[in-house]
Amino acid sequence: MIELCGVGKVFPGGQGGFTALDNVELRLPAGEFIAIVGKSGSGKSTLINLIAGIDRPSRGEIRVAGTPVDALDESALALWRGRTVGVVFQFFQLLPTLSVVENVMLPMDFCGTLRPRAARARALELLGQVGIADQADKLPSSLSGGQQQRAAVARALANDPALIVADEPTGNLDTHTAMAVLNLLTDLTAIGKTVVMVTHERDLTSFADRIVTLADGKVVGESAPRASVRNARETADA
Amino acid sequence: MVNAIVGTRWLKLFRDLEAEWGRVLLMVAAIAVSIVAVGAILGAHAVLTRAITANYLDTHPAAATLDLEGDAGAAALVLARQHPAVADAEARDVILARAQVGADWRPLLLFVCDDFVAMRLNTIERLDGAWPPATGDMLIDVTATAMLGTEIGRRLRIKTAQGMAHEVPVTGRVNDHGLVPAWQERIGYGYISRETLASLGEPPVLHELRIALRDPSADAAAVAAVANDVGRQLAAHGIVVHEIRVPPPRQHPHYKQMTTMLYLMLTFSVMALVLSSLLVANSLSAMLARQAREIGVMKTVGARTGQIIRLYATLVAVLGAVAVVVAIPAGLMGARALTNAVAGLLNLNVADNWVPLRVFAVQGCCGVLVPLCVALVPILRASRTSVRATLDQHGIGSEGLRLRTGHFPLAVRNALRRPGRLALTVALLSAGGAMFMTALNVAESWDRNIAKIYETRHYDVEVRFYQPQSVDLARSLRELPGIAVVETWGYSPVAVAKQGQIDVVRAYPDRGHASVVIMAPPTAMRLVSFPVLAGRWLRDDDTDAVVLNHAMAAQMPEIRVGDTIDLSIAGRRAAWRVVGLVEEIGSVGAAYVAADTFERIAGTGGQVRMLRIATLADSPQARVDAIRAIERRLDEDRVSVETVLPLTELSMAMTDHIMILIRLLIAMAVILAAVGTLGLTSALGIDVLERMREFAVMKTIGATPRRIVVLVLAESLFIGMLSWLAAFVFALPLTLLLDTLVGNLGFVAALPFVISPGPALMWLVLIAAGSILASGIPARRASQLSVAQALVQL
Repeated sequence: MIELCGVGKVFPGGQGGFTALDNVELRLPAGEFIAIVGKSGSGKSTLINLIAGIDRPSRGEIRVAGTPVDALDESALALWRGRTVGVVFQFFQLLPTLSVVENVMLPMDFCGTLRPRAARARALELLGQVGIADQADKLPSSLSGGQQQRAAVARALANDPALIVADEPTGNLDTHTAMAVLNLLTDLTAIGKTVVMVTHERDLTSFADRIVTLADGKVVGESAPRASVRNARETADA
Repeated sequence: MVNAIVGTRWLKLFRDLEAEWGRVLLMVAAIAVSIVAVGAILGAHAVLTRAITANYLDTHPAAATLDLEGDAGAAALVLARQHPAVADAEARDVILARAQVGADWRPLLLFVCDDFVAMRLNTIERLDGAWPPATGDMLIDVTATAMLGTEIGRRLRIKTAQGMAHEVPVTGRVNDHGLVPAWQERIGYGYISRETLASLGEPPVLHELRIALRDPSADAAAVAAVANDVGRQLAAHGIVVHEIRVPPPRQHPHYKQMTTMLYLMLTFSVMALVLSSLLVANSLSAMLARQAREIGVMKTVGARTGQIIRLYATLVAVLGAVAVVVAIPAGLMGARALTNAVAGLLNLNVADNWVPLRVFAVQGCCGVLVPLCVALVPILRASRTSVRATLDQHGIGSEGLRLRTGHFPLAVRNALRRPGRLALTVALLSAGGAMFMTALNVAESWDRNIAKIYETRHYDVEVRFYQPQSVDLARSLRELPGIAVVETWGYSPVAVAKQGQIDVVRAYPDRGHASVVIMAPPTAMRLVSFPVLAGRWLRDDDTDAVVLNHAMAAQMPEIRVGDTIDLSIAGRRAAWRVVGLVEEIGSVGAAYVAADTFERIAGTGGQVRMLRIATLADSPQARVDAIRAIERRLDEDRVSVETVLPLTELSMAMTDHIMILIRLLIAMAVILAAVGTLGLTSALGIDVLERMREFAVMKTIGATPRRIVVLVLAESLFIGMLSWLAAFVFALPLTLLLDTLVGNLGFVAALPFVISPGPALMWLVLIAAGSILASGIPARRASQLSVAQALVQL
């Protein structure tokens, strides 16, 4: 469960700063694929950064699975992030001097989850799950965009986090590859992960269990299209 | 697979190093050069301080020398040895003679001893040839052979106070480690027996009673007290003691010079290390700036701030450690080379070349800790930046542009965009430049001080006699062709007297170091004009007035103008009123008094012991000819000459004493300049590399490659000029400090503060050339990069 109570974020600059988020109230259930949508500058990325503990709110409280994220100190927050959140970036952000498998091993190293040998085995398993095990020992630069994003997904899963946040994960991919990556993320909910994805492409929201719409830093809509479909199916089956 | 063994973050570190091997090599080289210098100097310091003390103590130096009126015979020796504090006593003498070298005569100190084989105090090392010297023969110090132009088997023509020249065979070579090398003092050292002394026509009398104390750690005051006590006992038995000479206990005459020189070099080495560390910090800062996003990603996937700090701190520590591993053997070789050079200069036997382990420990600590401490600043800054801020990095920003810089040229504004980086680069370059300028300024100050020898002395040669001579001699010399002025001066060794005590002077056996003299200039003095530091110079109506030179005043720091001091001339004491202090470069301690009063107290009866002569010579050869003419006239007149000291010899002796220090300072400055230029190359290279994308954007909107090259070069030159200005300002106090330190070492007074335009201009040219070279290659690369390539750089 992700809970945001009266969350606001003001960035310094200009007169009184720039308000990216204003008094956001949200309760997002665990195990769902949540899409956050909105126009450019609506506060999507800021919201996802706050949920992932990448940034801190100017006011309000954020609780993820009961943990008060905004109250953690930097070290505790980093450890929490490493163990609880997997982040997928638009530009993949794989470290260029590490091989693909090493990129996946990195979170396990920082969080001390597994020793190097076991970490490598798990990383290879995860790369297998995302379909690029054969690329494991290559450098990211030699992979295609789609392959790099798959590697990024594998890295996000390294410490078996309960929450996956993805900021425009398909923004840099062609349509075919984007669909494959979205399917990958959707499949994660099947194994109990909560996926929060930011996108500005309305078409992609069909994959989501829940859609949160932002405008000018405020939540202006919340719907659950797939939940209603699923409920309808369950009713029909019954 | 390595990644199955080693933690991934360490693999990243290794790969980052691999990816930037050129810059890594630069950082390692910079640290290594400084650590080599630190090791070489500390190692040489350890070996040389051990050797200089061991060499000196191996000669069993006498703690004190009592100068007797008569012979230090058996009775005096027995009395001295009976004193409970005296461990041993020996009779010696030191005669100032002259040796003929080609057409000229050079001063020669003759050390006279009764029994060379049984010699126990102030011993000499036998090298080759005869031992002991037979009657009529002479041994010669190895450091004097070249200067005297002689060797074993040849005969040296010498003159003593008796005035007659004698041909003395040189039959052996010795090494006297208790003395300053002869070539440095411009004086020869010979060793003869009492019988040989007699054969030269001198009275066979050994006036010196040298004593060693039972307490080897006695300080100068304790030694003087015992020597006074012995003197009183001798006096009670009718043996007259004129003077007691106490050199600084257990200290080689050039110990202070050597250690000061090494400490100075060490200071420069440590500065070089700080410079190198700044270079590392600068490079690392740039590396961290480029890796900002990677740091953000690492933090996103769970890296804590402490882990990031440890990661990059380990990187710097590893670089330092690699540099130390490379530097230790090189430093050891440097220490050996420096030791050999200094040992050669000071005539030391270095029997034990062992460099203590603490030197390596210091090298290790310096090499790892200093760069680490300096690099912690950028590491902490980078690791503490918030995750969002690091992920939002898009290359160089304009966070430094808080100042209103809009009216500045673009190149200047670019340089000011990263004020922290700019400050670090400027600090690096200016520190190197300041030390470069300082070293050359000090060298210039030294030359200026040497020039003062000529500016304040308007004579060409100084002649001293064993016995006072008639003033007619001066008239006789004045008639010689080529002679302009002959002044008659009163002259005598002097001691500062204390009530109820025998006169004690702080002098070594060569009588040159730390000795003091009294001089009486003629009433119409023309050949000397020393700058007055306090009070005034002598007046015609002065009777008890004395003017002290700065070297003498330094020996009595409590004395002020208006105070009264007691001076003893050949045992005759008199009270003198200090009326002035003068600066006299290149002299031992000297007190100047009125000629009439001096004549009365010294009892010279209108005769003189010193002449100062100005020639009409307009070339060095003409000067030499004039001096030779003087020598011939004195020889014809059968005058017994103690020394003939051309002013050029004095200047040469002063230069030889400390030129090594100046050369080493310049060598250190060159190293620092090299490190500074490496820093500039590195910093500008990084700056350009970071802005490739920006250049691409500029090219997209119409900037020509030439415009980009000019922009980068202008920015580089701006940084270089800024650092030059800072270096110039920083060099001012540094020069003042070193002028004081080096001046006190060489002249007992601070060197004149000289800020020479030469070094400043040289550094300006160097820094301009360095700036162009440093930015040339990256600027060219930036200008030639295609827009498409450049835009994917970040």
